[in-house]
Amino acid sequence: MIKILFAGEGGQGVQVVAEMLAKAAFLEGKKSLYIPNFGVEQRGGVSLAFVVIDGKSATYPKFEKANILAIFSDRSISRVKRYIDKDTQIVLGPAVTQKVEKSVSIKKDGISTKAWNILILGKVINLSKVVSKESLIKAMEERFKKYFDKDPKIKEMDFKALNKEL
Amino acid sequence: MGNQILAYAALNAGAKAMFGYPITPSSEVLETWAILCSKDKNLSLLQTEDEMAAGFGMIGSCLAGVPAFTATAGPGNVLMQDAFSMAEALRIPTVAMIMQRGGLSTSTVIYSQEEVRLTCFGGNGEGFRVVYSTSNLQELYDYTLKAFKVAWKYRWPTFILADGYQAKMKGEIEIGEKNRHLDNEAILKEGVNLRNCYNLEEEIGEVIVNYENDYQKNRAEIEEAETYKLEDAKVALLAHGIVGAAAKIAVDKLREKGLKIGLFRPITLRPFPVIKAAKTLDKIEKIFVIESALGQLSSLFKEELYDLSIPLIEINKPGVGFTPKEIAGIVNEQ
Amino acid sequence: MNNNQPRFPECFKKDSKPHKFCPGCGHPLVLKALGQVIDEMGIAKKTVFMVDIGCSLLAWNFFNIPTTQTHHGRTIPTAVGFKEVKKDKIVIAYVGDGGAYAIGLQHTITSCLRNDPITTIVVNNTLYAMTGGQLAPTTTDNEITTTTPLGKKDFTTLKGPEMLKGIADKKAYLARGSSFKPLVLKQYLKKAIETQIKGNFSLVEAVSACPTNWKTDAKETVKRVDELEKIFTQGEIKND
Repeated sequence: MIKILFAGEGGQGVQVVAEMLAKAAFLEGKKSLYIPNFGVEQRGGVSLAFVVIDGKSATYPKFEKANILAIFSDRSISRVKRYIDKDTQIVLGPAVTQKVEKSVSIKKDGISTKAWNILILGKVINLSKVVSKESLIKAMEERFKKYFDKDPKIKEMDFKALNKEL
Repeated sequence: MGNQILAYAALNAGAKAMFGYPITPSSEVLETWAILCSKDKNLSLLQTEDEMAAGFGMIGSCLAGVPAFTATAGPGNVLMQDAFSMAEALRIPTVAMIMQRGGLSTSTVIYSQEEVRLTCFGGNGEGFRVVYSTSNLQELYDYTLKAFKVAWKYRWPTFILADGYQAKMKGEIEIGEKNRHLDNEAILKEGVNLRNCYNLEEEIGEVIVNYENDYQKNRAEIEEAETYKLEDAKVALLAHGIVGAAAKIAVDKLREKGLKIGLFRPITLRPFPVIKAAKTLDKIEKIFVIESALGQLSSLFKEELYDLSIPLIEINKPGVGFTPKEIAGIVNEQ
Repeated sequence: MNNNQPRFPECFKKDSKPHKFCPGCGHPLVLKALGQVIDEMGIAKKTVFMVDIGCSLLAWNFFNIPTTQTHHGRTIPTAVGFKEVKKDKIVIAYVGDGGAYAIGLQHTITSCLRNDPITTIVVNNTLYAMTGGQLAPTTTDNEITTTTPLGKKDFTTLKGPEMLKGIADKKAYLARGSSFKPLVLKQYLKKAIETQIKGNFSLVEAVSACPTNWKTDAKETVKRVDELEKIFTQGEIKND
């Protein structure tokens, strides 16, 4: 069982990538559960997403410690300290400026801020190998169909971000 | 998503109308039903001016024989008690999905188990209601189908009592049963005059005693509970809803440590599953009641099963969730 | 800091800034206009501020003025209760279109009917924002919301101040401005508070912006507010 926690702020696309990851696992025939955790503010405010993926069974969405923690913003760091133990792999998105022990930072590397969440998702999958690139692409195309159909540049940008890590 | 599942389940259960007012964490039920309505002219949605109008609108539809439902939470649940009281008094088969959020006023929009008392006994009544407490996405579907069947058969206001975690959770379920046809006879039909206002004490006394007899007479068919590894257990965990799901995993963790422990998970909070409880808990020496509230579940248990006189240890975390590991840890320490 | 920047109101609470409203929201514009009016009228020490549950709740610690959140739609009756026993205070009810015209509609109407000397500010963004963008009484024709996925049809868009005109006292004040035209809005807010001081009901609606739920970018947002300023007639609807 892999337990992944995404943490950022409203508007950073935290929930979108967490849902996509859970869907990708489902498409592969794995069991997955996703649950969001946030307050009332529509923007800003801390936004967390818990994803649990297992080959056989996923019955409870929340956990004590994360196997992988993906941090999108400085302000969410204090909220997720309790989910870190000695084995947690920590990924820091391009917007994070604070230093976090034993973490790997992702450079923005020419990717638009609007696709930083995809960059982070790519890294998470790269580290955990929890789903295949193909499944993720299927989940992404399903989720973003409306946007991709409307503007091919968005598709180009998201795939560019995905391909950086995968 | 849990909320989406509820809307589809209502559809498959034979519901034709929804009356509701947006309130987190239940709003997606309303939104999903809006999409279902846009594709099927036989369904209707009315987003009302507030929850009182939603509750009474739902009653209006049921009086016409058209199965209707609503979804709400927290302060919305409070406002709807006016309508639910009338539904109890007039035996109207309403179905309401309550996605519990933090207790006390506006609180959080996230989660709690603090609407147990409100949903079971709210309003100025005696709790003539059927309340199902679901513990996962599959149960959201299955018990919604059951809720409509039970409501229209036994004629008590019926509830799916879930919470914000189940509401927003995404996962897979199996769509098995599709009912789509419920008893469509109008309640308000020729020859029917309904009252909920009475003149003398004895009149209402008689009505309530008759209702109580009905309620007790049918409860064996309605009561439900899940028991897990209680057969040889000395200690039991008592938990409902999603906390029950976490407790089930905790039971396995504690069994690995050699503890003879099991779980009693009430699925109907009203009527409380006393028959099964009396049968399966008689060898238990100690019960840990675990809930995200201050003793709302344990109060129900104590009230209905006072005679069992098993020592209860209450583990209360109002408004806050539990993880399986946490439950196992707490129980282990005791 | 150049002199063309709007004045940071003295009655603002510094440690609640930067505020929590979404980028592009109309609320902070209205609140700043209100803050400046309170400063200019010198009434900070005798004002009490009440907010609804919806996006307006985020203003609970905006001012160094006694403030309380209430329940959705119940801001006006709470304000009325306070004013009833403290007539020398200036009581302001700050609500959204849902709180004023849906769940709180009966209170809005009744309070106007009674000519309660409170001031209600309605911030109208044509939908229920905090819960994710559902239908509101002020949703415009064919507007798409999450509960009108095919566009709002079949019922009238509510024009609050115009509706109240029919039952308002001769001396009551009703106006509608825009969060995007703060200088004009300030005049209406000032007149509204003066009306309260003279003992009469006042309500000012401000057309607002919600790029988050409208899903509009900056350009589209401005365009939409322009449209709304035409649909929701700007100006004083009733003035004694």
